[in-house]
Amino acid sequence: MALDGGVRQAFERVLDPADVISNPVKCRAYECDGLTGYRVVPELVLLPRDAAQVAAAVRVCAEHRVPFVARGAGTGLSGGALPVADGVVISLARLKRVLEVDPVNRRAVVEPGVTNLEITAAAAPHGLYYAPDPSSQQVCTIGGNVAENSGGAHCLKYGFTTNHVLSFEVVLPDGSVVTLGTDTGEQAGPDLRGVFLGSEGTLGITTKIVVRLLRTPESVRTLLADFPSVAAAGDVVSDIVAAGIVPAAVEMMDTLAIEAAEEAVHAGYTVGVPAALVVELDGPVEECDVQFEQVKEICDRHGCTRLHIAGSPEERAAIWRGRKAAFAAVGRISPDYFVQDGVVPRTRLAEVLGRIADMGADAGIRVANVFHAGDGNLHPLVLYSAAAGETERAEKLSGQIAELCVELGGSLSGEHGIGTDKACSMPKMFSRDDLAVMARVRSAFDPQGICNPGKVLPTPRLCGERPGKYKPHPLEEAGVIERL
Amino acid sequence: MTTPAGSADTNLPQTGPSAYDDRRPPERELLDDCVHCGFCLPTCPTYQLWGEEMDSPRGRIYLMDLAQKGEIGLEGPFTEHIDQCLGCMACVTACPSGVQYDRLLESVRPQIERNVERTPSDRLFRNAIFALFPYKRRLRAAALPGAFYQRLRRVPAVAKLAEKLPGRLAAMESLLPPVSVREAFARLPTYTPAVGERRARVALLSGCVQDVFFHRVNEATVRVLAAEGCDVLVPAEQQCCGALELHSGREESALVRARREIAVFEKLDVDHVVTNVAGCGSSMKEYGHLLSDDPEWAERAAAFSARVRDVHEVLADLGPRAPRHPFRGRVAYHDACHLGHAQKVRAQPRAVLRSIPDLQLVDLPEAELCCGSAGIYNMVMPDAAAELGARKAANVRSVAPDVIVTANPGCLLQIGKHLGTTDGAADGGPIPLLHPMQLLDASIRGVPVPRS
Amino acid sequence: MTTSTTLRPDDLRSVRDALLDTAGTVSITGSGTAADWAGPLGPVDAVLDTTALTGVLTHNPGDMTVSVLAGTPLRTLAEELASHGQHVSFDAARVADGATVGGLVATADAGPAALVFGSLRDLVIGVTMVLADGTVSRSGGHVIKNVAGYDLAKLLHGSYGTLGVLVEVVLRLHPVPKRSATLVVDCSLDEAREHAASLLGGQYEPAALEWISDDGHGQLIVRIDGTADAVSGRLQRLREVLGSGARDASDTGPDAGPDSGADSGADPWARHAALVRGAPGLAVLRIGAKPSLLPGLITDLRADTVTAGLGTGVATVALDPEAVADAHALVHAAGGTSVLRTRPPGSDVPAWGPPPSALAVLKAVKNEFDPLGRFGPGRFAPWLVTPHDAEGSR
Repeated sequence: MALDGGVRQAFERVLDPADVISNPVKCRAYECDGLTGYRVVPELVLLPRDAAQVAAAVRVCAEHRVPFVARGAGTGLSGGALPVADGVVISLARLKRVLEVDPVNRRAVVEPGVTNLEITAAAAPHGLYYAPDPSSQQVCTIGGNVAENSGGAHCLKYGFTTNHVLSFEVVLPDGSVVTLGTDTGEQAGPDLRGVFLGSEGTLGITTKIVVRLLRTPESVRTLLADFPSVAAAGDVVSDIVAAGIVPAAVEMMDTLAIEAAEEAVHAGYTVGVPAALVVELDGPVEECDVQFEQVKEICDRHGCTRLHIAGSPEERAAIWRGRKAAFAAVGRISPDYFVQDGVVPRTRLAEVLGRIADMGADAGIRVANVFHAGDGNLHPLVLYSAAAGETERAEKLSGQIAELCVELGGSLSGEHGIGTDKACSMPKMFSRDDLAVMARVRSAFDPQGICNPGKVLPTPRLCGERPGKYKPHPLEEAGVIERL
Repeated sequence: MTTPAGSADTNLPQTGPSAYDDRRPPERELLDDCVHCGFCLPTCPTYQLWGEEMDSPRGRIYLMDLAQKGEIGLEGPFTEHIDQCLGCMACVTACPSGVQYDRLLESVRPQIERNVERTPSDRLFRNAIFALFPYKRRLRAAALPGAFYQRLRRVPAVAKLAEKLPGRLAAMESLLPPVSVREAFARLPTYTPAVGERRARVALLSGCVQDVFFHRVNEATVRVLAAEGCDVLVPAEQQCCGALELHSGREESALVRARREIAVFEKLDVDHVVTNVAGCGSSMKEYGHLLSDDPEWAERAAAFSARVRDVHEVLADLGPRAPRHPFRGRVAYHDACHLGHAQKVRAQPRAVLRSIPDLQLVDLPEAELCCGSAGIYNMVMPDAAAELGARKAANVRSVAPDVIVTANPGCLLQIGKHLGTTDGAADGGPIPLLHPMQLLDASIRGVPVPRS
Repeated sequence: MTTSTTLRPDDLRSVRDALLDTAGTVSITGSGTAADWAGPLGPVDAVLDTTALTGVLTHNPGDMTVSVLAGTPLRTLAEELASHGQHVSFDAARVADGATVGGLVATADAGPAALVFGSLRDLVIGVTMVLADGTVSRSGGHVIKNVAGYDLAKLLHGSYGTLGVLVEVVLRLHPVPKRSATLVVDCSLDEAREHAASLLGGQYEPAALEWISDDGHGQLIVRIDGTADAVSGRLQRLREVLGSGARDASDTGPDAGPDSGADSGADPWARHAALVRGAPGLAVLRIGAKPSLLPGLITDLRADTVTAGLGTGVATVALDPEAVADAHALVHAAGGTSVLRTRPPGSDVPAWGPPPSALAVLKAVKNEFDPLGRFGPGRFAPWLVTPHDAEGSR
């Protein structure tokens, strides 16, 4: 059923009619986000120019019960911005002003369409930066970061989006505008800001966001170390942690990921080595120097075959460019791939990597690994060729890897979100009651169920009438947690 | 939609016959290279302006893919959004997956020209542009003050435009800078020997727009090359290289020009075919690819393209030899898209400029963003071009340079138009806008830097 | 006051059973260190005492996470973690009084370490809770990085026992700094503000930065955490900024320097904690405002005692109970937030300032989680008036 013509006119009354896109071919450009496997053509795409227009558009949606999906840069990897049939997409791409940089209070006020990196660019003249740094930071928007509670390589030390966003203006699904959060960490009443962060666009649309800025560290030391095995690299990570060091980032890449990244950006990675670690320390010069020596010593102890220390900001940037481009760069070594985002407790890294390798070998499918080793967030890239008919096998393997992470006491997703993609897997991690309580939260914000429906929580429509038999959580089986 | 976690088929189904004809449709493997990550969005000028997915490289590739899968036709939105692309290739630089958007665009634009009927006014205007620009003689006529209408009316396409759409003709005229009769009709010497010991032998493409409106740049280039030890040949029978047509999808006529240029230059015993125009260099380097399925020309085109160099590449490779006089001032280098993004020549012009003692090289904010010139773009999409031009001018002013240099006549015209003539330079006058060769020539000869 | 039943469950099942087996209103209590914070509790039919819900459930040192039952005093947990060189980076004053992990979460408390580590909302990575209808709900998990599902722990943070009973809490841990050193400077608020601007505007990375005042005697306290040798150098840099008035006040940690030369005087952090607790006869208000506005607000509030986080923008002030209503108004006029903590017994002092713009959402969440209004009646009065509030004492 298509949208009533009257509804379109209602949108055209609150937006410039040219900003209401209805041509079905144009709308197709919005049919998927960074995860292209799921596609739904929206009925309309709205391109509001300011917060008032967003609120007005949402009020029209609420009045006519039209489902809506907010979209930033469309870089999400879980289908979180997948449109809804008979619904509208509300693009925030035009709300991209940096409204204020306040160096005294170390914060910035920005619109949701500002990219993550633009915040840092605006803050840099004051010696400040915005800490969370998802790999897509040059393109992903802060509105999307809030929706996904985005992480990044440096969240090991500095935390996630939720730790760096103080408050935001939200258009609730009924079109009313409220502020969640405060000017400080202090709150009056439950932390509604906190529950909104990471809600994947299901509780409302942010239109103005206040972020904390940190002082650019006095010293940053980055090293790239090659190891004879993934296990040796993993031991280095464990020993760094055991030494009481909290690095700014610890990233690991395996042979395939190194090959792809090096081909893409020529950052000086050693092609052919089994594993490479990027370790970064930052902070006061004195602290960095002490800890950097310790880290080097730990690397040597575990048979490091080459240790390259970034000698200049350009070299450091190159190392990170290689790491951050790794996903997309895998496109160079494989026609198709699935990217996973599971998390395991750090101490089970070696185990999970071994099992992924075995599973890949059994399935006859290559798996490249590039991940945030410091916090156990894996990004296995399952490489396949659709043309060669490997899709089904690869898809199965990919799903098994996610479930393996849960089995080892971890999570389905560390930063990409549940979205459309993993909604049906949520019962692997949460009980019916857990999910029902989450649904209560959703219903408190969105009683009509029009705000990004079908995402995060499994629905019969998406996953079949029976979302699958409940399987006890592994922690429950082990007696670590109990379920009543 | 019941796939397990993290899994999804990334390929669109083939639902009908492809919308493309079978002459060089976009290659499937090139379309498949795009993983939809969106890293191209921030560098795309039209996405920056309008924030619409269809006007981003990712969106355009998606439309190309849909057309190939038979899901959409070429008329309407497809043509609209491909037309709106500046072809700046900033996305090629930004892409981590190595998507060859340049190749994709190059293959779909001719598809549009062949298969989509343009509106009568659009057709008139485009015909007039291509009846004028590739022809030195007509450009000279256009360049002469007051002579524009009279002289050019003799060209049928221009006469028709003047009759039906005089406003657009005037807009076209306004982009062309005044040029002295002497400069417009000046000719480069066909042979200039190297000063001192010869290090290389090169042939220079004099270009069409460049030779009429920026003859002084060509003169400077010949002097610099000679001073640095190159014999410089400028074959008189050369014509337009076809870049403007090629970048607009007029492939057939562009290839006719390509073959002619190859025939002219391949006879010469030179190490390199050199150009000082970014757009020309990027198209001549493509001849080999474009003619690869022409049995008669494939090999000759490949050999020709292999010899093509931007003048900065040649100079950077040779290394400075002629003594330079210092230039004390801030010089902003603007990367022409067809040099930086399309040819990936970024370091060499900077190295060449740094060979001038005391010169302080400054980078522009949003350096990767196109100035809006983009071949014929500022004529066919004047509003978008004007916004980009104003943005580039603001970025130029923000670094307060004493001189701006860029290696493309289109950029020189566009930035000049938007910077205006009143403000900017430290001395209160207009900021001189030059080709790097003019600055280097002045430094080698020890003469004052020209104002234009 | 009606008599109420006391329930003292000791595991998840008994918490659920306790709620299913009783009807009517319930107050959730831990060790009682914040019993009179926020709105005054209305009459309740039952008290759910969490102090038997104690003990560490899992602690794998290599993962730097720990899960505990919510009634565990954080102090007790800290003792268990110390042998592994780990701790919860959290130092609210009440920790020393035996406050439970659950109670600290429910009251959104925090101490000076919030400058770097935030409050428990930033350190809790998973929770198990029981709702008023006996529904058991988990969210988050046992890994630091996890975005699967809504983060319900955040809703419980600052809920003052009105939304659910926290039963299990999973916390992120940090290594105990090898050395923590504190400098103090006697100074006015204005001077402290200048010092704070220099420290926060430069490369000093203070771990805590507080100004305290008692009887007109102001003092700036600065702590830095790090490794033994590095801290010596950094201390020197700090002294240069703070001037000759800076004194070494404490030097702790496994690698604390022998050269510390700390004054034998009272630990300034102990004094800080004492001021946070308040004083007899006075009301304690917790306020938050943009750091640049905080000193002005504090001056205008004319508080008897003050602890002010000059980097965090969070302050605790002791006021005459009569002044609290105006203080709420003043803080809110500055865009800040305020919550009443303790007040003298029997005094009728407003707990909350003007309602937040998202009050409708707060009411809707309460209605979804606890439609009958069983939990914590009165805590959010007058913002939330539940059926039980309406028929209660007022």
